[in-house]
Formats: sequence, structure tokens, C-alpha cells
Amino acid sequence: MLEQYTYALIISVLTINAVVAIYGIVYRRSLTKKLIALTILGDTVFVAIIFSGFYFTHPIVPPVYPEPSDVHVDVLAKHASDPLPQALVLTGIVIGLAVNALIAFGIIQLYRLKGTTDAKKLVETLVEAGVAE
Amino acid sequence: MSKRLLALILLIALATIAPLVFTIIVKMDVPRALKSLGLYYVKNTINDTASPETVTAIVWDYRGLDTIYETLVLYLAIVGGLAVFRVKEVALKTKIGLTSFARSSTRIISLLIATISLAIALHGHLTPGGGFPGGSALAVASMIVIPVYSANALIARGITSTRLVAIRGFALTGIGLVAFLPTIRGLEIVTNQAFYPATVLGQLISGSISLYNLFEFLAVMSGFTAVALYLSIPEEVFKVAEGA
Repeated sequence: MLEQYTYALIISVLTINAVVAIYGIVYRRSLTKKLIALTILGDTVFVAIIFSGFYFTHPIVPPVYPEPSDVHVDVLAKHASDPLPQALVLTGIVIGLAVNALIAFGIIQLYRLKGTTDAKKLVETLVEAGVAE
Repeated sequence: MSKRLLALILLIALATIAPLVFTIIVKMDVPRALKSLGLYYVKNTINDTASPETVTAIVWDYRGLDTIYETLVLYLAIVGGLAVFRVKEVALKTKIGLTSFARSSTRIISLLIATISLAIALHGHLTPGGGFPGGSALAVASMIVIPVYSANALIARGITSTRLVAIRGFALTGIGLVAFLPTIRGLEIVTNQAFYPATVLGQLISGSISLYNLFEFLAVMSGFTAVALYLSIPEEVFKVAEGA
């Protein structure tokens, strides 16, 4: 019962985190706050992917061989956490960081050129300049 | 403010009560065993890839081609960011930075971070770690140095953005070479054990995995250090450059 509750609790917390982050991306007008919400959403997705490789066992060991032998293979098969989600998230975090840096560069440059990071005001300046409608 | 507090309390209540109701109504099964795909990796990684570290084996051997494309995405994202901020030379200023206490402790801490990041990267095929975490850790050392000593301290010691971009190019070329070298013997690209030796001079290097880790370490480190350098350029430089 406690295990089921823990499992469901983590899923619900991740869901609510994602909903709050999507709210921030859609409804916040500042581009900086949109970026912060985007990073929260990305991290939530990473935790969800890691969590998909989780299962109840005791003790939990990392999927690393202390030394190559058949005994360790049996121990790892029963107690190791799933390595595939970890491998996918490992690269995903670094790529996410680089993409966030790219977005941050864009926001800073936009602020230097237009003097604001407010999405609505930026659209107004674009309409005034005749670029958008 | 009270509206936000109410929303927060509601969210926390929802997050804790909804799973309780769900658990009582629906008798769901929680996972109690490793998934079969993960089981395959855990059982066979030492024979397939000669790497005792399953995660690194997946990153650079089983899914090696994916990781190479992800490295390309990383490269393009940082190149795109640097292309937005085109500034040729930053004027060197002296006498800026924090107090001598902060400087001394930063000197020690950044040295420790550099050592540990090298260990993370070069031991990546034996223990948890590898090129991505190691490179990020070393970039953190430069990100500590920049606020304490100022970006000019890095530039004065020869760590300029031009050189960092050159290191990135070298590292990406190295990854490409390691991936394409097996094709000269008619093997597929990103082949590991059929082409590269598992041990060199009695040391387990897991074939191409340690080479990939080394190059990825250089690529990630130089990329994020370049980002930190560009982000720390003072605003006055841009105002002068734009003539405003």
C-alpha cells in the first residue's frame, strides 16, 4: 500500500510540475520567465524518464560491475537500476543546457536591440515596424 | 499575494490527496523487476563492449550513433549562440574582481574541480561519469573563476573564445574520426570491439569508449566555457560596438 502510494505520489507531483511549467510558458509575458518555466519543464521530463527505469528492490546498486564475474551479473540483474533511461538523460541534460544557452543568448540580444523582454510589447514593436501583423 | 498562496496550497493538496484516492480506488501494480531491455544491457555489456559501466556502454556503443548526432546538436546550438554575440576583442581591465579571500579559495576549489572533472572523464568507462559530466564539471570551474577574477583573467591566460572554438572543432573532428575509422576495414561506423582493442598495456580502455569520452570532454568543456565567456562580456562593450 505504501509502495503504491509512493509511486502514485511521484507521478502526480511530476504531472503537476509539468502543468505549472506549461502554464508559465504560455501565460507569463516575460521571455526570461518563459525560459525559466521551460527549464523546469525539461527537468521534469528528465526526472520522469529516469523514473520510468525505477523499480522496487533492496538494496539498489548502480549498473556498474565492481569486477567482471558471473556472481556480479546475478546481483546486478536483481538490484541494478535500469541503465537505458539514465543513458538517454545523460546526453539530454547537456543538450538541454546548450539549447537553453542559445535561447538565453537570443533573449539578451533581443533586450539589447528592443529594450524589453515582454512578449506582448515585442509584438507591438514588430507591428509598428511593419514586420508582423 | 494571497491568491498565489492559495494556488500553492491547492496544488500541494492536489498532489498529495489525488494519489491517495487513486491508490485506494485502483489497485495498481508497481514494478518490481528490471525491464527486459535493461536486463539485456546489464547482462551483456561486459562481453559486448568490454566496458563494466553499463550507462557509458549504452551512450557510446549500443546507441553510439545517436550520441554523435546529439554532439552535433550541442555544437550547432553553441555555435548559434556565439554567432548572435559577435564581438572581436574585449578590452582588458585590471583591478576588478572579488577580495583576496574569495580569490584564494577559488584558486584551490577550481584546481580541485579540474582534477575531479578529469578523473570523471578519463574513468568514464569504469565508473559512473564520462565525457558529458566531466566536461560540464570543468566548465563549472571556469564559471566560478569568471565572477571572482573577471573574464579578463581567463582571457589574459590564453583561454580566448577563438581558441575554445578551435578546441571544439578539434574535438568534433576527433569524434568523427573515431566513428569513421572502422569503415576502412569494411565495418559499420561507430564499431567498437571489432576494431578497437579492449586493453592497452594491461589497462582496460574499453576500445573506442575512452577515446569518445576524452573528445566529448574537450567538446563540452570548451563549448560551455565559451558560452560563459561570451555571457560575461560587459554591456559597455556592446554599446560601443553598436555605436549607441
